[in-house]
Amino acid sequence: MKPIHVLHLYNRVGVGITPKELKRLSKKSKKKVIRELFENSKNVTPISVDISYLEGVKQKDLRDSTFRQKLNMESRKKITEFSTLWFQRILSPKEILREKMTLFWTNHFVCQNNQIQFVQQYHNTVRKFSLGSFGDFAKAVSKEPAMLFYLNNKQNKKGSPNENFARELMELFTLGQGNYSERDIKEAARAFTGYNNNFKGHFKFYKQQHDSDPKTFFGKTGHFMGDDIIDIILEKRECAEFICKKIYSYFVDETINSSHLNEMTNVFYKDYNIENLMRFMLLSDWFYDDEHMGTKIKSPMEFIAGIYTIVPFEFLNPKQITVVQRVLGQVLMRPPNVAGWKTGKYWIDSNTIVTRLRLASILLNKSAITYVDEEDMDSFTERMQLRHKKGKQYFKIKPDWNTFFTNFDNYSNEKLQEHLILSKMNLNTKEELSHKEKLPLKDFCIQLMSLPEYQLC
Amino acid sequence: MMKRRDFVKQTTFATGMFFIPQFLKAFENPTVHPFSQKKLVIIQLKGGNDGLNTIVPFRNDVYYQKRNRIALQNSDLLKLDSEFGFHKSLAPLQKLYDKGYLSILNSVGYPNPNLSHFRSTDIWQTASGSEQILQNGWVGRFLDHTKSKSYNAIEVDDALSLMMKGENVNGLAITNPKAFYASLREPFFNTIVDNTIDPHLSEHNLGYLYSTMIDAKSSSKYLFEKSKTKSSRADYPKNNFGKQLQTISEFITTGLETQVYYAGLNGFDTHANQIGAQARLLKTYANCMEVFVKDLEKSNALDDVLILTFSEFGRRVQQNKSMGTDHGAANNIFIIGKHLKKQGLYNGLPNLEDLDTNGNIKYQIDFREVYATILDKWLHVDDTTILNKHFSKLSFL
Repeated sequence: MKPIHVLHLYNRVGVGITPKELKRLSKKSKKKVIRELFENSKNVTPISVDISYLEGVKQKDLRDSTFRQKLNMESRKKITEFSTLWFQRILSPKEILREKMTLFWTNHFVCQNNQIQFVQQYHNTVRKFSLGSFGDFAKAVSKEPAMLFYLNNKQNKKGSPNENFARELMELFTLGQGNYSERDIKEAARAFTGYNNNFKGHFKFYKQQHDSDPKTFFGKTGHFMGDDIIDIILEKRECAEFICKKIYSYFVDETINSSHLNEMTNVFYKDYNIENLMRFMLLSDWFYDDEHMGTKIKSPMEFIAGIYTIVPFEFLNPKQITVVQRVLGQVLMRPPNVAGWKTGKYWIDSNTIVTRLRLASILLNKSAITYVDEEDMDSFTERMQLRHKKGKQYFKIKPDWNTFFTNFDNYSNEKLQEHLILSKMNLNTKEELSHKEKLPLKDFCIQLMSLPEYQLC
Repeated sequence: MMKRRDFVKQTTFATGMFFIPQFLKAFENPTVHPFSQKKLVIIQLKGGNDGLNTIVPFRNDVYYQKRNRIALQNSDLLKLDSEFGFHKSLAPLQKLYDKGYLSILNSVGYPNPNLSHFRSTDIWQTASGSEQILQNGWVGRFLDHTKSKSYNAIEVDDALSLMMKGENVNGLAITNPKAFYASLREPFFNTIVDNTIDPHLSEHNLGYLYSTMIDAKSSSKYLFEKSKTKSSRADYPKNNFGKQLQTISEFITTGLETQVYYAGLNGFDTHANQIGAQARLLKTYANCMEVFVKDLEKSNALDDVLILTFSEFGRRVQQNKSMGTDHGAANNIFIIGKHLKKQGLYNGLPNLEDLDTNGNIKYQIDFREVYATILDKWLHVDDTTILNKHFSKLSFL
C-alpha cells in the first residue's frame, strides 16, 4: 500500500499511526492491511471499574434517601473514573477499529445515565456489537437499563404509553426523519411496553405492563413485541441507507457520493453485518480517492488522540482531562442530547478554534490556558458552596518527547510534515513552513500541530 | 449583499490579488442591518431554582401542608402584599420591585415538561417543544437571522452553550477579553492568521477553519480594544457570578455592538438540605443583580437593557424526605428593566391544588411567548422566523 493511503486509512479508522507501523504496513497489500485491521479488532476488551460497593445493595435499600444520595455520589465518582479509562483507551487503542467504532456508535445510539453499573454495561454493549449485527445491536440497546431510563421506556406501559424511545428509535437510530408516520410511532411504542430492569442492570420484561393487543406497524399486523418492531424496520432499505450514510459521512466524506452510498447500501441491506460493510468500504478504491484525503475536521477526541499518537503525554492531574474535553467541546459520557454531537464544522467556533490551535503548546510546551474551574452540574447537592478558581492555569502534563525522538529518528522536517498533514495546504502557510527546515524537529512538530491544516484528517 | 466567497472570487479573479484579513474585516464591518441599541441579558439559575420558596404564597395552606419542614416562615419572608412575599435573601431585589423595575411571571413552562436538567435546559435554550430535538439555540438563530457577527452574542463562560449556536453564526464565549486577546497574540499565530487565504480553499473545510480563526482574532481585538477603555468601579461581590456581571456591564457601557449576553449561576439543584443552600444562592443572585442594575443605571445604560432570569425548571411542590425538593416543572421568571409595561406580579400565583401527574406546577405561560415578546417588542426582529413558530405576545413590554 502507498504510505499515504496507510496514513489516510489509520487517520480515519484509528487516531493516526507511528512511523514504524507505517513502514511495516506500507510493504503489504491493501488486502492484507485490511485483513490485519479486522483481525486485530476481533477481541472485545471491555472497560470496567470496580463496583463492588454495590454488592448486596437491594432495590428497597434505595428508599432511604440518605443512603441513596451516598450511593449516587459514589456512582458519580466511578463514572468519572470510567470516563478517564475510556479517554486513555481512545488515546492508545489496541483494537483500533473497534475502539473507533465504539466512538462512532456512542454518538449514534446516544445515551446518558448517572448510575455506573448501567453506564458501564451500556458502554461495553456498544463496544461488543460495534462490528457485529446491526439488528442484534439495536435489540440489545433497546433492553439496556441506561437506554430504558434515558428515553423513558421504563415509563412506557400498557394503557399509558410513552413514545419517546419508539420515536427516537426511528428518527435517530434506524430510519431517519420522513420514513415513518406518527401512527407507526404510536404502534411501535405499544410493542415496547413492559420493558424494565432491576437495580443490578438485568433486563426485566413485565408481562402485566405489556400491551399484548395486536399492533399495525408499517402495514403489518400482529402481536408484535419490541424485537419484532426492529425486525420490521430492518426490512426497509431506508434503514440500511440511513446507517450507511452516517458511516460514509463519518469515515469517508461529509459530501455524499450517491453511487458509493448505493454500493454500500446494497452490501449492508443483505445482512446488516457491520463488519462486512466496513470491510467493503475500506477495500473499495474510492475510499482512497484524493478528494477525500485530509478533508475531515477531526472531532476533539480524534484531534487530541492524534497528538498523543505522535507525542505521548500523561495528565498528572486527571481532573484536567474533563477540562480539556470541555474547552474542546466534547465531554465523554455527556452528549449534548439524544441526537449526539453535531460533527464536522460544527465542532469549530471562535472559541474551540483558538483552543485547538493552542492545544499542542498547552499539552506539550507548558503554555497557559484560561478556564473557570467550576463545579459540574451533577455534584451540586454535595457541594453547595461554590468554589471558583479562575485565571491562568497550566495543565500538569508530562510529555514523552523521548518516544517522539525514537519514533521519528532521522525524520526531516519535511518528512514529519508529510506524516502529520494530509490536507491541502494554504499556499502562504506552506511557503512559511518551507523556511523552517532548520527549526529543531520538536519545535517544528508543535508548530505543525498548531496549524488549521492539522485540524483535518 | 454579496456573499463573502463571491467577493473572494471576484476580487481575486479581477485583480489576481490575494485576500488579506484587514480587507476582510473592512468588508465585514459595514452595518448591513439596522442596529438596535437594545440589549438583552439572560441569566440562568442552573440546576432548577425552587420558585415556590423564592416567591412565597404565604396565605396558601397547601404550601404549608406539602412543605411542613421547608416552608418559609414569616420571619424568613419579605411580604410584598397580602398574598406573597420574597425569600428574605431577595431584599436587594425588593428595591428593584419597589421602583417598578421588576416583573415576575408565574407558572412559566411548556407542555409535557421534561424533568432532566440536560434535556430541559436544551428545551429552554433551543426554544423547542418537549418532543422536538433542535440542534441550534434561539439566540444563535437570532444571530443567523440578523446576519450578525459572533460577538453580537456573548456568553461569559469558557465554553459556548447550545443557546448561542446558530446554523451559520455562533456566539462567542469569553470570560476575559484580555486573556482571550493575549492567547491569540503568540507570534507564530500571527504569522499563520495574518497569512492570506487561498481563494480555492474558500469552499473547503480548511477555508472555514481559517476564516473562523480570522473571525476569532478580529473579535478578540475588537473586544479587547473596546473594553480596555472602561473598567467598572462598582463594587461587585467577589464571586464568579459577580465577575460575570461586571464583565457584562463593562461590555455594555463601552458601547459594544453586542445585543445578547448570557451568564449563569450554578447550584440550584437542591435535592437535600435546601434551606441554607438556596438562601445563600439567592443572596448571591440578588446582591450581584442589585450592583449590576445600579452600575448600569449610573452609566445611563439601563434604559437599553432588559434582564431575563430563568431556571430550566422549578421544583416539586411536595418536599422530599431529605429536606429538599425534587425536579419540578413550571416556575417563575424575572424580568428586570426600566421600561416595563407591567410591573410586579404579571399574573396570578401558581395554583397548588391543580398539579400535574408528577405533582408539579402546571404552566400558564409558555416560555416561548416570553422569548417572542422580547424578540418582537424589545429587539425588534421577526420572532416567528427565529422561533420557527408563531407565539402570542405578552404585555410586560
